[in-house]
Amino acid sequence: MTVTTPAPPRRRWPSPLALGITAAVVALHVFAWNATGFSPAALVQGADGIADFFAEALPPDLTWDTVLRPSLEAALVTLGIGLLGTTFSVPFALVLALLAARATTSGSAAYQAARSVLSFLRSVPDVVFALIFVTAVGLGPFAGVLALVFHNTGVLGKLWAEAMEETDLGPRDALWVHGASRVQVAAHAVLPTALPQLVGLLLYRLDVNVRSSLVLGLVGAGGIGFLINQSIKLFRFDEMVTHILVVLVLVIVVDQLSALIRRRIGA
Amino acid sequence: MAALEIRKLTKSFAGRPVLTGVDLQVRAGEFVAVLGANGSGKSTALRCVVGLETPDAGEIHTEGRSAMVFQKIHLVGRRTALDNVCAGALGGLPLHRSVSPLLFPRELREEAMRCLDRVGLADRAGERAGRLSGGQQQRVAIARALCRRPRVLLADEPVSALDPSAAEQVITLLADLASEGLAVAAVLHQPQLARSADRIVGLLGGRVAFDGPPGIVSGSDVDALYLPERTAA
Repeated sequence: MTVTTPAPPRRRWPSPLALGITAAVVALHVFAWNATGFSPAALVQGADGIADFFAEALPPDLTWDTVLRPSLEAALVTLGIGLLGTTFSVPFALVLALLAARATTSGSAAYQAARSVLSFLRSVPDVVFALIFVTAVGLGPFAGVLALVFHNTGVLGKLWAEAMEETDLGPRDALWVHGASRVQVAAHAVLPTALPQLVGLLLYRLDVNVRSSLVLGLVGAGGIGFLINQSIKLFRFDEMVTHILVVLVLVIVVDQLSALIRRRIGA
Repeated sequence: MAALEIRKLTKSFAGRPVLTGVDLQVRAGEFVAVLGANGSGKSTALRCVVGLETPDAGEIHTEGRSAMVFQKIHLVGRRTALDNVCAGALGGLPLHRSVSPLLFPRELREEAMRCLDRVGLADRAGERAGRLSGGQQQRVAIARALCRRPRVLLADEPVSALDPSAAEQVITLLADLASEGLAVAAVLHQPQLARSADRIVGLLGGRVAFDGPPGIVSGSDVDALYLPERTAA
C-alpha cells in the first residue's frame, strides 16, 4: 500500500499591511538619519580630533592626594546619593504600587489617582527634579537624593504595581474567601508571592540610581559627576579618565552585588 | 436544616449559561462528592458559595462560616506551613495584630498548630510550604481552611494534581472531617474516589442530573455525565 504524503501548505507571503509597516519603519529611520545629521564620513574625518583627545586623556592622572583620593571620596558620595534616593523612595513607591495594582487596590478612583501620580513622577526626569531641588536646598548631594526619591518613586512604584498584577492571584483568592481584608491579603498573599520580583526590581533601580546620581552631579548635585564636570571645564581630561575609571569600578561592584543578592533570593 | 443549601442557582458567563438551576443540600456531618464533566458548572457552583463568583439568580444559605480548598492549593510557598495556616483566620484579627506573621497572637498560632496536627503535619509546621510535597501542601491548605473554624468545607478538585496515594489520603481526611461534624462538598474528577462519600451528586449541563448515596448511583449514571465530553473528543 502506498502512502501519499500531504503537500506542504502554500507559502504565506507578507501581507500588504506587513509590507506597509516595514516601509513605514524604514522611512522613519531615514528621517531620523537626516534629522540627527548622522554621518559616518564626518566621524572618519574627525578621527584626528579623537586621537588628540586620547593623547591628552591618557595616561590617566592617578595622583593620590589631588585626584584619586578625592575621586574615591566623591564616588562614595555618589553611592550614598543612589542608596538613599532608592531607600527613601521605597515607602512611597510601595503605597502607590499597592493602590495602582488591580490585585490590591481599593477602588477604581484610588487606582486611577495612584497611576496618575506615578506617571507624573516618572515623566519628570531626575535631572529636572535635581535642578528644582538645587534651588530649594542649594548645590550638593542632598538635592540629588531628593531628586532621586521623587523620580524613583514613580518608576519603582510603576514596576512594582506591574509585578503585583502579574503574580498568581490564587493565594489572594484563598485568603479573600477566608475573610481577610485588602491590607491582610496584600500582606499575606500578594507581597510575599511577589517578593522575589519586588526585591529584584529594587536592586535594579539601585543600580540605575547609582548611575543616575553620576549625571545629577553634572547639574550640581555633588558626587563624582561634579568632579567629572569640573575636569571637563578645566580641560583636564587625564583627571576625567581617572574619575570615569573609579565610576566603572563602582558600577561593576554595585552590579555584581545586586546580581549576587538576586541569585540568592531567586529573583 | 442543611448546613449548606443551594436553590435554583443560575450563572452565565458572557451569555453562555453555566449553571441552569442547581439545587444542592449538604447536612452537617455529611461528605458529598460532586461529579461532572468539564464545564458542567461544578467549580462555578462552589465559587458562588464563597463569593468568588456572583450568581445571576438563586439562593445560597450556609450555616456558620464556609471555607474552601483549591485544586492549585494556593499556599504562599515562601511562608512556613504554620504562617499559611494562620492566614486562614485573618478575618477576625485587628490590623495591628495581622499585618505580619511576627504579630500573630499566641492563641492564633496555637489554633493553627491544632489544625496542622489534625491533618497530621504538626511536625512540619516550621517548614516552608513550597518545600512540602503536593499532598502535604493540600493538607496544609485544608488546615488553613479549618483554622477559620468553618461549618461548611468546600473543596474544588482537591486531588486532581496529586498522585493516587496522596489523593486517597486527602479524600480520607475530608471524609473524617465530615464524620466529625463538618459539612463537606468536594468537586472530584475521579468517580472511584467519590465512592468514599456519603452522597454523590452528578452535574450535567449546569443542573443536577442525579443525587444519591454511592450504593444507588450506578456506573452508567456516572458514565452518562461524561458522554458529551467523550463524544466531543
